Amino acid sequence: MIPSIVPRPKTGGDAVLEALEREGVEVIFGYPGGTIMPFYDALYGHPMRHILVRHEAAAVFAAGGFARTSGRVGVCCATSGPGATNLITGLVDAMMDSIPVVAITGQVRTGLMGTDGFQEADVCAITQCTTKASWLVTDPAQIYTKVREAFALARSGRPGPVLVDIPTDVLKAAYVDHQAPPRKVRDAKPVATRESIAAAAEAIRNAHRPVAIAGGGARDPKAVAAFRRLTSLLGLPHTTTIVGLGASDPADPHGLGMLGMHGTKAANLTVKSADVVMVFGMRFDDRVTGRPDRFVPDATVIHNDIDATEFDKIIPASIALHGDSADTINALCDELMKGHVPRFDDWAIQAKAMGGPLARDVAKDGHLSATDFLDTFFAAMPPDAVVCTDVGQHQMWAAQRIRPQTPRDFCTSAGLGSMGFGFPSAIGACFANPGRHVFAICGDGGFQMTMPELATVKRYQVPVKIVLIDNRNLGMVRQWQELFYDERYSATNLSDNPDFCTIASAYDIASFRIEGPADAEATLASFLAHTGPALLHVSCYPDELVWPMIPSGGVVEDLMESKTA
Amino acid sequence: MTYHLVVGDPRTVARVINMAHRFQCRATRVDSRSTDDVTTADFEFAGPQEQLDRLRAQIDRIVQFEKIFV
Repeated sequence: MIPSIVPRPKTGGDAVLEALEREGVEVIFGYPGGTIMPFYDALYGHPMRHILVRHEAAAVFAAGGFARTSGRVGVCCATSGPGATNLITGLVDAMMDSIPVVAITGQVRTGLMGTDGFQEADVCAITQCTTKASWLVTDPAQIYTKVREAFALARSGRPGPVLVDIPTDVLKAAYVDHQAPPRKVRDAKPVATRESIAAAAEAIRNAHRPVAIAGGGARDPKAVAAFRRLTSLLGLPHTTTIVGLGASDPADPHGLGMLGMHGTKAANLTVKSADVVMVFGMRFDDRVTGRPDRFVPDATVIHNDIDATEFDKIIPASIALHGDSADTINALCDELMKGHVPRFDDWAIQAKAMGGPLARDVAKDGHLSATDFLDTFFAAMPPDAVVCTDVGQHQMWAAQRIRPQTPRDFCTSAGLGSMGFGFPSAIGACFANPGRHVFAICGDGGFQMTMPELATVKRYQVPVKIVLIDNRNLGMVRQWQELFYDERYSATNLSDNPDFCTIASAYDIASFRIEGPADAEATLASFLAHTGPALLHVSCYPDELVWPMIPSGGVVEDLMESKTA
Repeated sequence: MTYHLVVGDPRTVARVINMAHRFQCRATRVDSRSTDDVTTADFEFAGPQEQLDRLRAQIDRIVQFEKIFV
């Protein structure tokens, strides 16, 4: 439709747009509704790209995927009440994984607030503890200011989500020419003290069995380069959390893979055996530490984080390096190079040898093992691809196998573990990475939570490739039921799943079907060769579990590699 | 534990009280004043020491978020 060229007076909605333009925003993900209409009216005919999703949850997940795979701030918008509350999960998701997202929400008109008005929800109160900040803007002259400040806050220091809630009368109000300038932002990057850097270098020089761990704080390209500089300088065995995957050079033989509950045996045993544990931008999630008091009880812990709250929160820091990971690691390298630079290659070889091949279940004859398929998929996948996953068994299998070039090439909901994340986040990743291959690896449970976004893919011809690992179960929950709840499979059976290929066809999206091992490679090749959006339905053996596994709250000695050991 | 809070957003006082209760602590005294730009609050909290330490760290984080603006 050709936008109306009838002139209209500028409003507060235009002030929002001006702020977004000033921040360099090119795409926003959203869903309109009553109170946000003045903003959508300003958007009508505007060159800024608005992607109409089919549920607000998808808008915020797409904004998160955009941010995670680009390092830029992701933007989403929604109306008041249900529109705003549907954003909550994605905002918490962004908060947990420190992802810069700005959400703009409409609010009921100022005079209606507090009357339980239609579609009224106090979203600022609801999101106060799930965002870095949530602001209600009641002065039209402050709209531009607050939206700009939201971006500054979202990307500063430890990144995270910020919500700006604007009543509809404020959005409708006449545009105020002289918007207040945004407050200046102080340099939020703390710098590790010279003394702490020197102490860390001394601890490393005295180490016999050191190990380095990269977390989400090392996702930035500068931090990745610094982490690789440190590990290659010292010949250091190293591992990452799930959000740090890609910080390690895939070609570095001393990389041990992922740490934690479903991490590699080598990574977990090495950390347990280490006398010096260097941790960069990691918050010691319970999925990493298991039982914290037994995690690294005797090691010297050198903990670097930009957020001082993380020090001693879970694991006491022997040496705290409060600063940006890139700057801190580079300072540490420089300090080490002033004197004797130790090498730990022999220990790194020993560390690697503690592992061995990933344990796996064997599928019954004629059934396709999901892990066999994923091995084939990752071997065939274009090396420059961006991979987004949903949450569950397929997520862990993918994390164990993928070797991303950088952390931004692997996008997953880690801290919150939000099912429904994978598919919309991949849509966001497509808009952030035009021209690159983007895959959404989903399970049958999570995919159905945001499956209507097939309509979004169809409308915009988003070139996402969906790999649907279908084991007809909520596999990870079922795994826990099998191992820890006496095989009482309560509410995890999805044997009545729909025909996903038929559903894709209904949206004019190409689909491919793998029924068993015999047709896997050929069908995968056809799927990969297809241009444009496509869905690959992979029917997998339902009883395959994720190995290895350290049970929740357990220690590395509890590591299981099969149901019986 | 006592905490002297200085922030711009007066809602932070309520947020801190919510957080204290979530951490199995109690705000036993709250003395808060607000002007247009600044809210100050003096808290006294009771609870297990480990939880109080966690509470202090989380309040520090909120204050840090606010401090990025000059």
